[in-house]
Amino acid sequence: MRNCASLAWMLAAALVLPASADEAFVTAQGAGALDIIDVATMKPLAHLSIGGKPAGIAVSRDGARAYVTSPEGQFLTVVDARARKVERQIPIKGGPLGVAVSPDGKSVYVADLYGKRLVEIDPDRGETRSVAVGAMASGVAVTPDGGIILVADRDDNAISVIDSGRFERVATIPVGKHPFGVTIDAAGLRAYTADVESDSVSVIDIGARKVIATLKAESRPYTVALARGRIFVANQHADSVSVFDAASLAPVAVLKVGEYPEGIAASADGGRVYVANWFANELWAIDAASLEILEKAQTGDGPRAFGAFISGKR
Amino acid sequence: MSSLSRRAALLALAALAPLASSAARAAGAEPPIPGPNSWAAHGAAPLKSVETITIEAPPEKVWAVLSDFARYDWLPGVARVEASGGNVPEKGKRRLVMADGGSVEETLVRWDAERMTLAFHRDRDDVKRLPAINYMTHVTAKPADGGKTLAEWKGRFYRGHPFNDPPPGLDDDTALAAVTALHRANLAALKAKVEGK
Repeated sequence: MRNCASLAWMLAAALVLPASADEAFVTAQGAGALDIIDVATMKPLAHLSIGGKPAGIAVSRDGARAYVTSPEGQFLTVVDARARKVERQIPIKGGPLGVAVSPDGKSVYVADLYGKRLVEIDPDRGETRSVAVGAMASGVAVTPDGGIILVADRDDNAISVIDSGRFERVATIPVGKHPFGVTIDAAGLRAYTADVESDSVSVIDIGARKVIATLKAESRPYTVALARGRIFVANQHADSVSVFDAASLAPVAVLKVGEYPEGIAASADGGRVYVANWFANELWAIDAASLEILEKAQTGDGPRAFGAFISGKR
Repeated sequence: MSSLSRRAALLALAALAPLASSAARAAGAEPPIPGPNSWAAHGAAPLKSVETITIEAPPEKVWAVLSDFARYDWLPGVARVEASGGNVPEKGKRRLVMADGGSVEETLVRWDAERMTLAFHRDRDDVKRLPAINYMTHVTAKPADGGKTLAEWKGRFYRGHPFNDPPPGLDDDTALAAVTALHRANLAALKAKVEGK
């Protein structure tokens, strides 16, 4: 009996482990491609041709699909993340950039940079509806319960709050200057924007719909990741990542990374943080606890990885 | 420039490419008008250009020339330089007064003597002078074999038209070619200055 149970456990582990291994889906904008990297080994798994200057990325919670925006090509690419193949491309007029997936994987939300709108996409049917947001809509994030979508309205210096069911804008929240990336915590209580022009991070109480603190980042913060009770901010012009304690909001450290860090995201277990360095064409792995730089991987030219670019069981 | 005349200028640009602009109108996209300093007024993809040259001198000697942000009068086409703020990032400013009567204004963004590198940003975009916008430059003196220096001149920028459907002359290829040519000319001038030729 005992042997049977342990054998069953081993079989289950063998089946589950490969699917739960983290992979990075890095948009290489200059190369017009999506690089899929095994982050356990930091070795490339696939290089998919996407076209249209791919920038935004979102991997579905179950890891089945990845969605890539091409602002110049004006389309969304649906990628079968397990087969590592392009499934289809869905046209989106304007400048599709920021992208996020609903927790159930049934809706994909894309910010249209030029059209001042957030578009809802059914991955199997295409565009379904859109809602007006602010100017140069950039980053998009969804709460873990799927109820609220936040959009960084870059040139309005604000966040749009969208009710996902009614697909209506229910509030706007003023933040720092030129918010680009927006990230929501696992509890769905707080959101963080990287405010590029004010070199700050706005900490937002989602329920109260207001900024409760402003953190001082380094030059040109682009995006924010959350891991191990810490806030990680990629500072594009400083070649650095600022680290803060998420509870006290006190600064913890500033880490030197590769040239022009842009996209940043945490591993599924929160043990690591990955940052894409645009000028260096590198993906760096950071230990979220020790804050050591662990490994580096080469990417295609111009990695942006703007969005939730790490897959893995959560 | 008023926002109205900026809009008029943009429409004039769009008129250069009727097919492209009608496609943009059909998309319902009305891009915002870029300001005089387009630090972030862009949607197009960022571009990069990296050029290098070997200089017959040690890196310290090359850095001695590169590090003096206020004295880049050795750059091609520059008549003189007006500068303030010294070599302090965000404070150091300079105006390159060009031999053709125009000028280029830049702000020092990074200055690192240990790594022998500095970076500066072009404050006002002028696509007639350089068909690229939001242009950041990094210049570095790296040690090379035989006591020589590998000087690197590289930039991050966007094409002259920051939105979709660029008119001819304000596209990615034009921007890349122009910035690359500028980097090569600057490196050749640096080499001549350091080597005393």
